[in-house]
Amino acid sequence: MALRSLIFNQQILNNSVPILSQFLQQNGMSQFPSYYIKPIYQKEAQYDLIKNNEAQNYAHLPVRPALVDQTCSLSHDPKISLFINYVMRGGNKALARLLVEKAFETVKRKQLEKYHKAKEEDKHKIDIDPKEIFHKAIGNVRPILQLTPIKRGGVRYQVPVPITEKRAQYLSMRWIIDAAKEKERTLHFPETLANELVAAASNGGKAVKKKQDLHRQCEANRAYAHYRWS
Amino acid sequence: MPIDGCIEKLLRKNIIMKILAALLSRKMPTEPVPFQEILPLRLKSRVSGKGDNQSDVCCIYEMSVMFACLKEHEFNQSLCGKEIEKFQKCYLEYSTKRRTRKEKEAKGSIIMGERDFSHKQLNRMLKNFPQK
Repeated sequence: MALRSLIFNQQILNNSVPILSQFLQQNGMSQFPSYYIKPIYQKEAQYDLIKNNEAQNYAHLPVRPALVDQTCSLSHDPKISLFINYVMRGGNKALARLLVEKAFETVKRKQLEKYHKAKEEDKHKIDIDPKEIFHKAIGNVRPILQLTPIKRGGVRYQVPVPITEKRAQYLSMRWIIDAAKEKERTLHFPETLANELVAAASNGGKAVKKKQDLHRQCEANRAYAHYRWS
Repeated sequence: MPIDGCIEKLLRKNIIMKILAALLSRKMPTEPVPFQEILPLRLKSRVSGKGDNQSDVCCIYEMSVMFACLKEHEFNQSLCGKEIEKFQKCYLEYSTKRRTRKEKEAKGSIIMGERDFSHKQLNRMLKNFPQK
């Protein structure tokens, strides 16, 4: 605070705004100032940087340390680790990871069973990689639009608006998890999650139905589409 | 009272009223009307940003085409890939354009040869060279 007032008194801030203001800028709860770049921890991304001769640009920049789940391991997938974080409750990440891994194992078992039961000519159609199934499921549940309430003339209209990539991904993961949680007490979460993932990968299941319902509602409210402003 | 006397009285009263009104009322303006400067006769050194507020409605046509296709195919997205892609591309283009415009406005710096100025850029310029 003393430093700040000193700087203000001497009007240094007014003369060199960009650097100093960036330095003084509040950066949320982060320990690291905003000019610290996020680590590029994946090997492919690093190779790409070297190939495009951009690696030199990052050579002398201060870098934040990688998060605990950011590894250059071949089995690491940023989307799956995000999904694990969405499954997590009360900070119990070990349990969340266990549940998702168990679900993936169940998917693998189910698909292998299907694979061995299938006829020789149909075998290539069956996907046995749980990661691929996961990505397919996320892609299938991704909505194109969403409804936002907008007040016009005292009436709240549900207006269909386009959705950002990030929000669509979040909703798809959320819906898959919600669908898996909607179960009998005797069933376990990993099992229902596995079922939901397999169903969503083949365009079925509760989560895909939820997406289609949303699209139906958007279609019904398409007359209000021009009400949106934000 | 005779009727004639009554009318005469009324008429006299009316004339007096008219004269009084003429005396008390404002003077009729005489040509040429003297000019009075009520507001300063020069432009202000700033512009309002109200006109820059664009409505956020975009991609309505693409959306309606997509809805028509989706309804036709019972909301099966795989059969409307082209329409959906067009709609998403439209929105992406719109949002990137809006973002770049916002960034440019926030900077407020003026690039040589630029034609469209935002209100912030204009205000910054007018602050340096105010209307005298």
